[in-house]
Amino acid sequence: MEFLINFIISWLPIFAIYGILSISLNLEIGYTGMANFGKVAFYAIGAYLSAALTMSVMLSLVGKSVPLYSIEAVQALSTPGTGAIYTHPAAYVGLFVLSLVLAFIVAGVVGYFITYPTLRVGPAFLGITVLAFGEMFRVFMRNYEPLGSTKGLFGLNNPFIWIGNPQLSQGLFALVSLALLLAIYIYAERFVNSPLGRTLRAIKDDEVAALCLGKHVPRVKATVFFIASGMAGVAGVLWTFYQGSVQPDTFVPILTFYVWAMVILGGMGNNLGALLGAAVFTLVDRVLTFAAGMMGPSLIIPPNYLRWMIVGIVIVLVLLFRPEGIRPAKPIKTPAWEAVKEVSEGG
Amino acid sequence: MVGVSEVLNTVQMGLAYMVIALPLTLSYRVTQVINFVHIIFITLGAYTVALLGLIGLTNVWIALGIAFLLGGALAVLDNVAVFEPLWRRGSDVLIIMVASLGLWIFYKYLIYAVLDKLFIILRTNTLSVLVRTEGFPSVTLGAVTIDGYLIDTVVTSVVVTLALYLILMKTRIGKAIRAIADNQTLAEISGIPRGRVLNFMWFLAGGTAAVGGVLWALFQTTVTPEIGDQIILQVFSIAVIGGLYSLTKTALGAFIVSGTENIVIAVLHDTFGLPLSFRPFLVFSVLLIVILVWPPLGAGGGLPYRFRIRPRARR
Amino acid sequence: MAEPILEVKDVAKYFGGVRALDGVTLSVQKGGLIGLIGPNGSGKTTLFNVITGFYVPTRGEVWFEGERIDGLNPNEVYLKGIVRTFQIPRLFPSLTVLENVLLTPPNQIGEKPLYAVLRSRWEKQEKELAKKAVKLLRRFGLGRYIHANVSELSAAHIKLLETIRGLMTNAKLYLLDEPAAGVAYDMAKEMFSFVKRLRDEEGLTFFIIEHRLEVLMEFVDYVYVLHNGKLLAEGKPDEVVQNKAVIEAYLGG
Ligand SMILES: Nc1ncnc2c1ncn2[C@@H]1O[C@H](COP(=O)(O)OP(=O)(O)OP(=O)(O)O)[C@@H](O)[C@H]1O
Ligand SMILES: [Mg+2]
Repeated sequence: MEFLINFIISWLPIFAIYGILSISLNLEIGYTGMANFGKVAFYAIGAYLSAALTMSVMLSLVGKSVPLYSIEAVQALSTPGTGAIYTHPAAYVGLFVLSLVLAFIVAGVVGYFITYPTLRVGPAFLGITVLAFGEMFRVFMRNYEPLGSTKGLFGLNNPFIWIGNPQLSQGLFALVSLALLLAIYIYAERFVNSPLGRTLRAIKDDEVAALCLGKHVPRVKATVFFIASGMAGVAGVLWTFYQGSVQPDTFVPILTFYVWAMVILGGMGNNLGALLGAAVFTLVDRVLTFAAGMMGPSLIIPPNYLRWMIVGIVIVLVLLFRPEGIRPAKPIKTPAWEAVKEVSEGG
Repeated sequence: MVGVSEVLNTVQMGLAYMVIALPLTLSYRVTQVINFVHIIFITLGAYTVALLGLIGLTNVWIALGIAFLLGGALAVLDNVAVFEPLWRRGSDVLIIMVASLGLWIFYKYLIYAVLDKLFIILRTNTLSVLVRTEGFPSVTLGAVTIDGYLIDTVVTSVVVTLALYLILMKTRIGKAIRAIADNQTLAEISGIPRGRVLNFMWFLAGGTAAVGGVLWALFQTTVTPEIGDQIILQVFSIAVIGGLYSLTKTALGAFIVSGTENIVIAVLHDTFGLPLSFRPFLVFSVLLIVILVWPPLGAGGGLPYRFRIRPRARR
Repeated sequence: MAEPILEVKDVAKYFGGVRALDGVTLSVQKGGLIGLIGPNGSGKTTLFNVITGFYVPTRGEVWFEGERIDGLNPNEVYLKGIVRTFQIPRLFPSLTVLENVLLTPPNQIGEKPLYAVLRSRWEKQEKELAKKAVKLLRRFGLGRYIHANVSELSAAHIKLLETIRGLMTNAKLYLLDEPAAGVAYDMAKEMFSFVKRLRDEEGLTFFIIEHRLEVLMEFVDYVYVLHNGKLLAEGKPDEVVQNKAVIEAYLGG
């Protein structure tokens, strides 16, 4: 029981993070048909933004002016009991919330402007441009000293760490993550079951025809990109606070395709499917890590490689043998149906 | 300082890029699929020369030949096992592209896993191998030394490009490839055996890319499993400059990108103190500029939508 | 007749060396039912593409209701009140017949990103539009297919659906690209009678490309003939079919 609870509270935030990422990717590829090969960029923006913001404000609260990446900063922030994240709980939680909001906006705006110019060149080029952007961001971070270059930033922790009881604080964080995931899921469901969702499907089917029917296709696409990138930014914030640190090499392109695998397995164009995909992969990952711990070096393929091989092969096999995924795309639900019934009954 | 070494680097890098990017454009033009396994062809080629060197086989020409065969075989395997079945089922090219992404990830970590085992068997570090191979000797002209690898690269890329040109333009199968690229349905109606021609095309594309991988390894001199991934940005930018359509423009793109990475950065570094680590930014800027100013609408499929800078006068 | 609703002035469109259009001048009267004919590859579809903003003309101007529209984007042209259909129909396969029709009204409240999630904001409008759409579909005999997938429709119904989609909006000018192609003769005649009815009852304007002259000539009041990107002839249907140059072009092309 104890084990199960610990397992769940350590798994839930990861599930929430990947759930948010896959819902956001599903909005893009499943509903609108935009191939985002650079999801990781917006995730990284959220993560770095929250780390930089929270750390610098917390440090200035305790009157320290040291570089964020310095060991002094880590000590000033996270020495148990005396570090700033223990002594200024209100500010710390406040910064967590502020990070969520800002990350949504900043990642969203970047997403809007990165994609707007490229939206007319077809999915392959869009995908490549965003992929390139993500790589560029990572390489920049690797070389940008104020944010720790290759080592990244350390010294944060769970936003409720000051409570003292680790199980309680982690549980609280798990709940907050889950609540965010739920909110985003509900938002996404409403978003796509609307006249706008209809337009998105139309754009996915045939963007040229949609344009000829008066839809401002580039703007609609950029808007979806704004929202989806903002969501990825939120996931990035959760990651920072879950992990307590950010490193540039977390945000390798392959992470994007991890999320792709989730969406493809779950079913493109189905939000619940995206969640299922996220759950499956994050659980498999846990099991693999666990098995690796049990079996040690006797494992034929190291778990880290095995995990990615599974990701790759799942993408290929699902596309080959069950292209609609676990849960096929759902038709759009709007009140139009009810209206049709009324007309039928009336006439 | 922009000196001889920058120029020589531009040439060597540009040639390697060219040999890598040409088959990407070729396969895209024929199948409309951006093949992410291309990155694996590069890694495969690079490791072929590196591992052969490790076990004492240091003839670069043999390495190039083996790399060509391996890359070609892998490409044909992918086509037969994944791309062709998807295509026959009527899958969208986007879906086929995503399948190639899956393959890329799978192969990449398969390579990691294999190298991990080799590490134990060979008792040497295989995750990062210094390239040891021999082709032409270095030549010294006055104060300038021209590295042997550079000469190998020049010879190989000239031969490869010429061979590609001759195959595509002068042979029957080359004509068939071009016919499929121009119009699939028409080509099939006129009796071209699509399956076989495509397999040949993939063999050519995969093999050439792997040869490019060898050349890239000669330029890098150290090979890691990330060697292909490291140049995703560059290779795709080059292909986009070519509009994923024109082989000539792709070749040109290779030198634009390599010039940007060597000469432009050096100039900016000298005049504005731009850190050399900004290299990827310049490449990305090249990519963005190309997409904005010369959007590859024709080949990539696109929207008949124009961004208007200035509003037009009305009556 | 009334004043022109659409004017094409000396429009040219070159694709590299191909002169798909080479100085075409024509006008469409308000409330007209105008035909556009010509041999294959004569530039008819290209002319529609220029009018609807698909292409920017190499030269020349397009005016709609006293406003210059060449160079506008296709979505902007649509919002001005020009609806087109495609030679190869482009319906949206993942939407039902009803949804295909519901898609067309511009500026729906529920299409705004901020309002899309607030169902109460757009529910009323959506229901009204749905009722209108159902009535429209019934009027044209598609009542049975309201919830059908578009792949279940016959070729004729697909063409019809593409045409009436535009009726949901207040479009004034309809550009139909070969509405009767691939449709049985009777169905084609029926389609044209619908078009005529719409013109007569609603005062809409139609500009129609059609290869099947036997169907077209019966209904239209004026015909333009394109050949090699140039206007070859124009006039009343019976005059045009007598025209030597036209006969030659058709036989030769
Ligand atoms: N995007 C394009 N690029 C190059 N050439 C084009 C393009 N679109 C049309 N053309 C050429 O322009 C000419 C006119 O084509 P268009 O489609 O307008 O003819 P059409 O009259 O509609 O013929 P059809 O009766 O077969 O539909 C043709 O020679 C065609 O090949
Ligand atoms: Mg036509």
